[in-house]
Amino acid sequence: MRIYLSIFCMIFAGVLSAQSRVAGKVTLAADKEAAIGATIQVKGTNIGAVTDIEGNYSVNVPNTQAILVFSYTGFATQEIEVGNQTTINVALSESASQLDEIVVTGYGAQKRSNISGSVATVSAAEIAERPILRVEQALQGRTAGVQIAQNSGSPGSTLSVRVRGVGTINNADPLYIVDGIPVDGLDFLNPNDIETINVLKDAASAAIYGSRGANGVVLITTKGGKRNQDGKISYEAYQGLQRASRFVDLLTAQEYAVLQSEAYIAAGKTPLPEFVYPAALGEGTNWQEAIFQTAPIASHQLTMTGGSERSAYTISGNYFSQDGIVGGDKANFQRGTVRFNGVNDLKKWLTVGNNLGFTWLERQGLSENNQYNSPLIRALNMDPITPIHKADGTYAYSNYSSTDIANPVNGIEQTYNTWRSNRFVGSVFADVKLAKGLTFRSAFSLDATFAVQRGFNPKYDLSNISSISEAPVAEKSLINSVSVGNNTWRNWQLENVLTYQTQIAGEHNLTFIGGTTALENRYDGSGGANTNLPSNDPKDAYISNTIDPIASQSAYQFASESSLLSYFTKANYDWNNTLLFSATLRADGSSRFGKNNRFGYFPSFSAGWVASHASFWKVDAVNFLKVRASWGQNGNDRIGDYAFTTVVNNGQNYTFSNDQIITNGAVALTSANPDLQWETSTQTDIGIDAELLDGRIQFTTDYYIKKTSDMLYAAPIPLVAGTAPPIQNVATAENRGWELALSYRNFDNALRYSVGGNVAFVKSEVTSLGRGGEPVFSGFVQSANANASKTDVGQPLASFFGFVTDGIFQNQSEVEAAAFQSNETKPGDIRFKDLDGNGVIDADDRTWIGNPTPAFTYGFNADLQWKGFELNMFFQGTHGNDIYVNTTRFDFPFVNRPASSLGRWTGEGTSNTEPRVSLTDPNQNARVSDRFVEDGSYLRLKTIQLGYNLPKAWLKKVRFEKMKIYVTGQNMLTFTKYSGLDPEIGSVGGSLELGIDRGFYPQARTVLGGVSLTF
Amino acid sequence: MKKISILLLFFAFSACQKDFLEKKPIVGITEENFYRTEADAIAAVNAAYATLQFQISPAGHFRWFWGDIMSDDAVKGGSGDNDVNSLLQLETFLGPTNTDLLESEWGANYEGIYRANVVLEKVPAISMDDDLKARILGEAKFIRAWNFYNLVTMFGGVPLADRVLAPSEYNLPRASADEVWALIEKDLTEASADLWLRSEYSAADLGRITKGAAQALLVKTYLWRQKWQEAKTVAAEIIASNEYELTPNYADIFTIDGENNSESVFEIQYMNASGGNWGKNNANEGSFTNVFQRARGQFAGFGFNIPTQNFVDEFFKEGFEDPRLKSTVFRVGEPMGDRGTFTLAATGDMPHVFYPKKYFNSKTEDAPFGDPSPNGGSNDRVIRFSDVLLMHAEAAFQSGDEAAARISLNRVRARVNIPAVNASGTALLDAIYRERRIELGLEAHRFFDLVRTGRAPQVLGSLGFTAGTHELFPIPQSQILATNGVLRQNPGY
Repeated sequence: MRIYLSIFCMIFAGVLSAQSRVAGKVTLAADKEAAIGATIQVKGTNIGAVTDIEGNYSVNVPNTQAILVFSYTGFATQEIEVGNQTTINVALSESASQLDEIVVTGYGAQKRSNISGSVATVSAAEIAERPILRVEQALQGRTAGVQIAQNSGSPGSTLSVRVRGVGTINNADPLYIVDGIPVDGLDFLNPNDIETINVLKDAASAAIYGSRGANGVVLITTKGGKRNQDGKISYEAYQGLQRASRFVDLLTAQEYAVLQSEAYIAAGKTPLPEFVYPAALGEGTNWQEAIFQTAPIASHQLTMTGGSERSAYTISGNYFSQDGIVGGDKANFQRGTVRFNGVNDLKKWLTVGNNLGFTWLERQGLSENNQYNSPLIRALNMDPITPIHKADGTYAYSNYSSTDIANPVNGIEQTYNTWRSNRFVGSVFADVKLAKGLTFRSAFSLDATFAVQRGFNPKYDLSNISSISEAPVAEKSLINSVSVGNNTWRNWQLENVLTYQTQIAGEHNLTFIGGTTALENRYDGSGGANTNLPSNDPKDAYISNTIDPIASQSAYQFASESSLLSYFTKANYDWNNTLLFSATLRADGSSRFGKNNRFGYFPSFSAGWVASHASFWKVDAVNFLKVRASWGQNGNDRIGDYAFTTVVNNGQNYTFSNDQIITNGAVALTSANPDLQWETSTQTDIGIDAELLDGRIQFTTDYYIKKTSDMLYAAPIPLVAGTAPPIQNVATAENRGWELALSYRNFDNALRYSVGGNVAFVKSEVTSLGRGGEPVFSGFVQSANANASKTDVGQPLASFFGFVTDGIFQNQSEVEAAAFQSNETKPGDIRFKDLDGNGVIDADDRTWIGNPTPAFTYGFNADLQWKGFELNMFFQGTHGNDIYVNTTRFDFPFVNRPASSLGRWTGEGTSNTEPRVSLTDPNQNARVSDRFVEDGSYLRLKTIQLGYNLPKAWLKKVRFEKMKIYVTGQNMLTFTKYSGLDPEIGSVGGSLELGIDRGFYPQARTVLGGVSLTF
Repeated sequence: MKKISILLLFFAFSACQKDFLEKKPIVGITEENFYRTEADAIAAVNAAYATLQFQISPAGHFRWFWGDIMSDDAVKGGSGDNDVNSLLQLETFLGPTNTDLLESEWGANYEGIYRANVVLEKVPAISMDDDLKARILGEAKFIRAWNFYNLVTMFGGVPLADRVLAPSEYNLPRASADEVWALIEKDLTEASADLWLRSEYSAADLGRITKGAAQALLVKTYLWRQKWQEAKTVAAEIIASNEYELTPNYADIFTIDGENNSESVFEIQYMNASGGNWGKNNANEGSFTNVFQRARGQFAGFGFNIPTQNFVDEFFKEGFEDPRLKSTVFRVGEPMGDRGTFTLAATGDMPHVFYPKKYFNSKTEDAPFGDPSPNGGSNDRVIRFSDVLLMHAEAAFQSGDEAAARISLNRVRARVNIPAVNASGTALLDAIYRERRIELGLEAHRFFDLVRTGRAPQVLGSLGFTAGTHELFPIPQSQILATNGVLRQNPGY
């Protein structure tokens, strides 16, 4: 290194006049603090220096005409002509511009201004603005085109993350890479440890991840230390309370009795005696109030960071605990994390480092988002006449319900279901400088999880008379049982990357990256169960304590493995930061695919032109303008291990001998598909990035077309195969979208503020299901005993499909005039439209009745700072999506109903929307129809935070560097027409289970108070 | 040095990549870890046998639909014209190409071919008793040949799935009939060499494919190919093997006791204690032929495969009533087992005066099942020894050995005590043909015999048969669509 510098110096010394020395101090204009590590470069040369811990520098300049360029991340660059000065002190002011921001891309990093793909970024500062419980929440509403939805409001539940819409009928989760380590899920990660999140949205950016990049790539970098930095200790904590934000309006006991009486009469039966005098029943039990509660939430974080000239490190620890608003501690989630990130320059040519994280988490699980027996579905359906407790204080049971719908409070109390996981995710790496511009990195990483699931079903019986045990089956458990499942995941990866960076003739910048990856995953699972513990105490719930014979014990064991071997290369070129080109190629070999297609090749190209750098650019107001375009291909390998193999089915019997002996035959009824390969998505993206008014206005827009081909689907096949159709690469889908992000920042005055927003429109549709492809039905709705969703060519994925209502039959002649529905159809029933006009309402009269995918999603924020005060507000919403309301179990005659049923039809002219009530529903008024489709659009004040930074002068006295106190509200306001508990519904159970409310665990309204201090 | 070691690291994976990416399932019965033991090999070939039983998969597919109803021996029957109407259309040569009857015939045969192919690909690598392995491979070759035989005699040249097809091969085009026949001949020749004699099987394995069965199907194949000399030689070998003997009493052949008797060469096994075999993927082992062929009304059948007057008349052509008629056809006034006497009223006033008898079962023989139309268990007698004798007679005649032809023909006639035939020339051939119609009546041979011997246009012309078209059935339209038209329709359809 020194040799090269000397050569440069000699050349310049020979050409130019005698050099002189300039020194000085660089400070930050705002608080006069030293700017540590700011770079000073003599413009047009490689001569430069870096400020020390005091902000001091000194640099040799070739002549008096030389111009010094002072730059520091996040601050406006300054250029000063040296002239005769020997001391130049500079105060840097904060920049609104983000052009110099370094963006982590796959296997490298680039200045934002030089990126020709589409990459969205969320920084630590944005994450710090609002306490988030899960990493994915940091992306929600912040990044155009990344749609996040909570799959449940219960603590520790997962989120669905969809980059640029759902482009596949298979797994649509993006690839998560944390510090270079591919990980499954992000629940182990402590949000406070995150430095940046970058989402690679277009194919060109994600193509470097090849067969795993089709659903987008989320790159997360955790916080490391900075070199040349004093040690800092910071403590951050918050504590808060969560509550439900709304209840569904249901019938009171009195109203319930009135409607049940009518239902009995309609079914030709005599109403039960207790329904005859409804007034005596009063309000009855509010089961929602019974299960919802105020629940605490808390987080404590300690971070230590520091750095010398040759090393830097961060050590952090965090403890987080959250109870559920349903179930309280029965839905508790706790997480403890420790992290150690460090780097050390061992030799001039060698730097080694590590990113090591350990997570312990424990989650108590209630049954949720299930339409059968979750606490929520029980609370929404349990009759209001039954009290919570009997007179003796024990739990009561319903006299009407015998199966799914049982006392939810008792149900919660009897649930003991724990998931405990210990997970280590870490990597060690070495960076070797081989020659000027040529570096080599080798990294080994390990993601090892040891998780135990324990279940205990205690003995209980809600009977009034225990000797005859008259309570219904769902209200008693006469034998207790215990189960355990051990799960181990062990994934390792070895990655080697060569990077060569050079500049030719001062204007051609070239970066070349080449590398290989080998990774191997193994899963082991085992467990068992048995019944009959002598003790009913959950502390004694171990299989070895059961007294049933070992023969009644069940046990299982599984194991599976997969591996990936990849070669990749990438080249970035720019001419004077003006013309930008990038190309990547990745070859992935995967054990998940058939041997005929082990390797796949994923290319991409992108190009950009920074118009504002062109010599003719004269528009001063627009300080930066870039147009870019990209094209690339990615794969989706989420098909499970061994999908190309087939299971051999027993029971293909034949009879031999005159004694008619049945003998077993075995064959694979579905054939193997050695050609099985990844789904391929090909995406074209064009975009514009612009900054106006020196970065005060920032603007980014993208339009893309993403076509997914070779989508995995078991389409019908010619009979010559002799088997059922195997999974094949046959279906196709297309997503088109448009994204826009716009912000305005003003840091010029004491009142610093920024406002910004983003919006993403996306339209996804299936374009083919293969030869003779049958539509795919999904979204089972128990109350109608039918599927509510259908995926077919030309339609968005999993659109709602059912009957169309056409008002209520007001009288018998209307019934007779309409198409035949059932023999028992009566006035007061729903008239369904006879779409095919054949005079009978049958399956052919179903049509598309709703779309669960939003037409657009959006988010916007406003941040104000004034003299230490901070106010942040963040809104987020979706528009144009429908929700199928499946929270009333119409298949049971005794369930409670929404209050809207008070407006039911009771005689001619009484209602044209709400049908009569009947115990039996002979007309199937509850069939899948547009009656249950509601607008799911919402706008939500996701976060509002008011904070105060204590003045530095005060803090100095107690040797604190920084202290902030704040209050935060989450989900404080929601604007929606949706009648259910929460319109923000995720995707539970796969890409084709969209927008069906099956008793969704709602998100809490949360108020937190917090403090953050650094010393 | 440093750089070299780094480069080594960089390319270190290349060397081991092949193994590294080979991940086979660790647990579970998958194709990768099945086919390891003798028991696996037997289970594999049993699964191929299971396809022989397919009858409803999903539409009715019965050998007698084609062999009897399509011929002049029987008409469809049923409750009326609308009862399996597409069969009536086929029978009257109106040739619907989109019927599920043909589709399920096509599909069932290819399912059998697939399963046989699995055996032929997987079993050779299993280390096990060599004799047993050879036998199992022989059984699989027979089953493959049998299914291709059904396909080629019905559809002509068909896709030659002589291996387990990969998904990329599903659009396999039709091979020529010659190519299909060549595979059948090869499979049967090899199977004949390796299969066990019937007498070598244990009683528990009764019903497995024998050397004799493979030879008999090979004889049939040679007759179709007019390889008279080869047919004669192989048929003579079967006769000389002394493995088979005609049942003394013709009427006994179709009783339960007559199943797998001394005359049985190839018989598809069904049982009467396990419900009907609803085709694919079903563990039940019963047959629907019984209930389909029984009269309606009090006989609780569906009344299909109604014998024609023309067929019954054939039994009287020699001036006496052939004794086999009363074992072949029910006539009005005869008792129908333990189900009562055949009167038109008892059949629910259906117009038919004849019903088929060979697959009639008594109530006591029904599956003890809750089904309102319990299913029977009659084995399907596909090739009997008398068929072998008559094929030998035909082959001998065609290769010029009339004496041998007469010996075999008269052996069949002697069993039912009717006079020997002394004719020669065309009259002898006609006598052999006639004997086939009577001896093998309503056993699904007639239509194919007529086509094979070129007599179909003459005999069936009045029923709508057109020479040059109706020798073959139409390729199922659904399969032409499913292959994007790669499969071509037969001429005339």
